[in-house]
Amino acid sequence: MIEIQSAARQECDFGELMREHRSMVFSVVYHFLHDRDQAEEIAQDVFLSLHRNLAELESPAHAAHWLRRVAVQRSIDVARKRQRRPMVALENIAEPSVKPAPGDLLLGELLRKLVVSLPETQRMVVILRYQEDLDPTEIADVMGIPVGTVKSHLQRSLALLREKLERRGVGER
Amino acid sequence: MDWLEQELKQALARKEPAPDFDSRLRRRLVRTLPRWFAAAAAVIVIAGGGAIYRHHQGEQAKEQIMLAMRLTGSKLNQVQAHVQSIGERQ
Repeated sequence: MIEIQSAARQECDFGELMREHRSMVFSVVYHFLHDRDQAEEIAQDVFLSLHRNLAELESPAHAAHWLRRVAVQRSIDVARKRQRRPMVALENIAEPSVKPAPGDLLLGELLRKLVVSLPETQRMVVILRYQEDLDPTEIADVMGIPVGTVKSHLQRSLALLREKLERRGVGER
Repeated sequence: MDWLEQELKQALARKEPAPDFDSRLRRRLVRTLPRWFAAAAAVIVIAGGGAIYRHHQGEQAKEQIMLAMRLTGSKLNQVQAHVQSIGERQ
């Protein structure tokens, strides 16, 4: 009976974790792959994996960290499999007919496409920094890379994005 | 944080998956559950139902006792008043 009650409690915990973290998991994958259907599929795989490992997670904070790490890893794995058929190449991103200005929705879409065109590790660092608001130490922990590498990826990514935007005539007002 | 970082923050804000995300996930989850889990869920429902029924029966019995005590109390009051009035007349 104790085992059954514990299974029921786990189901309850799972529901709460799903409601609380579905947008985080989905958004990490979506911003990384820029494909809504695939992002939902992968986010569901991440939660199914969480369900299988629920007993090993010690606290809600541990579960959140675990989910973020698995979402990051799955996204990178899928992108690597996709590399045989490259995704959005930077050169293929259409120039907007009207130049977007800071605060525009057009600029938001252009930025998301430019982020997807970054190399995998840089892309994930940018997503974790600006979507998840993590600092370099936390990003290093989630991705399993040195803090120095995170910082240099961030600087390089920002410089690259700034350059691409300026080439499209987008800059600070 | 400069303008580009602000724009990145807005562009990469969290988004919600489709509204049927949870229900699709639950369906996938049910397909992956072992059979013993369905049996365990049934046991929980039955045991829970039994507990609720017993609780309901207990509540009914409590109400009956309270009613009996209220009736007894009011009868005792009447008897006491009657005895008091006899005493006063004598």
